[in-house]
Amino acid sequence: MAAANWPDKDDHELLRLIQDGSHHAFAELVKRHTERFYRLAFRYVQSKETAEDIVQDAFLKLWENPGTWQPERNSKFTTWFYRVVVNLCLDWQKKKRPVELPDEEIPLADDQEPMDAAMIRNQEQRILEKEIGALPERQRTALNLCFDEGLSNQEAAEVMGVKLKALQSLIMRAKITLKERMKVYL
Amino acid sequence: MSAKQDEKLEMLLRSRRATPANPELAARIILKAQGIPQVRATSFWQWLRQLCAEYHLPKPAYILASALILGLVIGFSTAADITSPNDTSPINIQGFLYADEGPL
Repeated sequence: MAAANWPDKDDHELLRLIQDGSHHAFAELVKRHTERFYRLAFRYVQSKETAEDIVQDAFLKLWENPGTWQPERNSKFTTWFYRVVVNLCLDWQKKKRPVELPDEEIPLADDQEPMDAAMIRNQEQRILEKEIGALPERQRTALNLCFDEGLSNQEAAEVMGVKLKALQSLIMRAKITLKERMKVYL
Repeated sequence: MSAKQDEKLEMLLRSRRATPANPELAARIILKAQGIPQVRATSFWQWLRQLCAEYHLPKPAYILASALILGLVIGFSTAADITSPNDTSPINIQGFLYADEGPL
């Protein structure tokens, strides 16, 4: 099959080919989704190396045992795989110590931004990350999926295996807690 | 809570940034996968076929093993037909054993 055809295939086609042992299909799927799943993992573990390892583990498990993906049971690959990555992150967190914020500076939004404003924003971001990290697991997952990954509430509810109302309630509670804890910065 | 606070929080939540991943991450995953064999889900018959292929016994061995299994199955099923649970009294067995012996 010509290499140019791979990007045209949807995730489900690629997964069927992966189940037949196609390395090309696997490569295409990895290239397509690595960045987004890395971003999600990073939100949980706050470490570049660990987030990369988690994403690598998730993809290698999929390659090793492609039968775990069952199209008749899983509506959408990304919905299912978000769940896989979140579970790996939570497993990691249970095994390890509480998440510490990285020493490295979070990249600033705009190089042209005045230094003071940039520092304030940086500080706000760091406090926000810390407070999000202190939220209960489900509230944190709901926030990460909806705000960071840009999933719709319905999609996020599917990933978490909860009803839409439950997800909305989780987000609302998370926001109330954050507003309370960050009132100095808001 | 004011609407302004809500807005600011929303803005902060939407502008969260992450340290970017190593640009080689995808390539690293792809490369690692090349050295990992896939585990395939197999049905019982596939497993049996693989097992036979693995041991590769000569045909007479299969015939002998099948005959043995068949013999055992027939043996057990006929024995079950002849003796019912009610036939276990020792008198019946004795009667059977000494049936041909006449009085001395």
